[in-house]
Amino acid sequence: MQRISSVCIAVLIATGTSLPTGAAPITTNTALPVAKGEYVFREQVIFNQSGDDPSGANRDHHVAVSASVLGYGVTPDLALFGVMPVAYKKLKLNPPGGARVTRKDSGLGDIRAFARYTAYKKNMPGKTFRIAPFAGVELPTGSNTGTDALGRLPPSVQLGSGSWDPFGGVIVTYQTLDFEIDLQAGYQANTKADGFESGDVARLDGSLQYRLWPAKLADDTSAFIYGVGELNLIHQEKNRANGIANPNSGGTTLWGLVGLQYVTARRIIEAGVQLPLMQDLNGTALERDYIVRGSVRLNF
Amino acid sequence: MRTVCKYLLHLTVLAILFAGNIQAWAASVHSFKVDGLACPFCSYGVEKQLKAIPGVSGIKISIKTSTVTVTMKDGTKLTRAQADRAVKDAGFTMRNFR
Repeated sequence: MQRISSVCIAVLIATGTSLPTGAAPITTNTALPVAKGEYVFREQVIFNQSGDDPSGANRDHHVAVSASVLGYGVTPDLALFGVMPVAYKKLKLNPPGGARVTRKDSGLGDIRAFARYTAYKKNMPGKTFRIAPFAGVELPTGSNTGTDALGRLPPSVQLGSGSWDPFGGVIVTYQTLDFEIDLQAGYQANTKADGFESGDVARLDGSLQYRLWPAKLADDTSAFIYGVGELNLIHQEKNRANGIANPNSGGTTLWGLVGLQYVTARRIIEAGVQLPLMQDLNGTALERDYIVRGSVRLNF
Repeated sequence: MRTVCKYLLHLTVLAILFAGNIQAWAASVHSFKVDGLACPFCSYGVEKQLKAIPGVSGIKISIKTSTVTVTMKDGTKLTRAQADRAVKDAGFTMRNFR
């Protein structure tokens, strides 16, 4: 059962909600500013389906997450963020020699807290270029000891990892009146809890947002519609249980996303569909099918 | 007749000057450019920082031209330093303050 824990991590990674600042990408982060003393909020709903099972257990894994993100501008360059996920996880599978079973759990997941600092910015007429490193920690707020009638739930159904997991990276953003490009490189070092350690995660993300409407800006233009295309290359090391690496966990996945964003001064409404373009997973790790995302961001 | 015309001309000039002064007393309007501003969602940060300045009664932002127009209440004035601070706190750069 432990071998499917990679799915859990993949879900956590894939649900890594982007920052609510600016007309940000849907899956990844941006270096656009949060004004000093101001708050921004994002509520994202994510449906993640995995069901292509090479193990023969006919596993079907479904995760629904509601992630609330709050950002605060300490200074024009330093912003603090908190991400609070609430998840519903369900796994159906055929255990060896037994009838099909369903394992599930729901509740608070692991909260992420981090800081982002704009180390470089160049503001120009109608455009901006920024580089912002970020660092934070994933807190063990979600339960990793959930049980049901069959015993302890597998890691892929647990709501949390039980461990303190530091992460960091750097974001590069170039935004003009017509389009925005965001690039991110990130790493999460997962630590051990209760004998289990999820594999570390490295990721590269790229996002292009292109203004579809209005085709030409007017003096009173106050809303945009962006078409969004994103790529997420995510690699995870093998999980370890009691110090032994699980050969059926971890691997590399390239995700592609297409979406739309409606952007005004006070809010952004957006939705996107994410599909795995390439999966190179270890052993019989469960393959991903799709992720659907919808969210609202608010300036207040 | 010539005197009447002269008198009317003086009256017209005075009326124009007076009207101009009334406008000046009623409100002062400032405008400036904000570099780095490229989408509506970011403009709200600038708007909120400016709104916090005492005396600001209206703000108009053109994303297209990166121009911000600030209207002040009677008897108040926006200084370059105040505008510069507000734009900086929103994460952007001000220029061409008028």
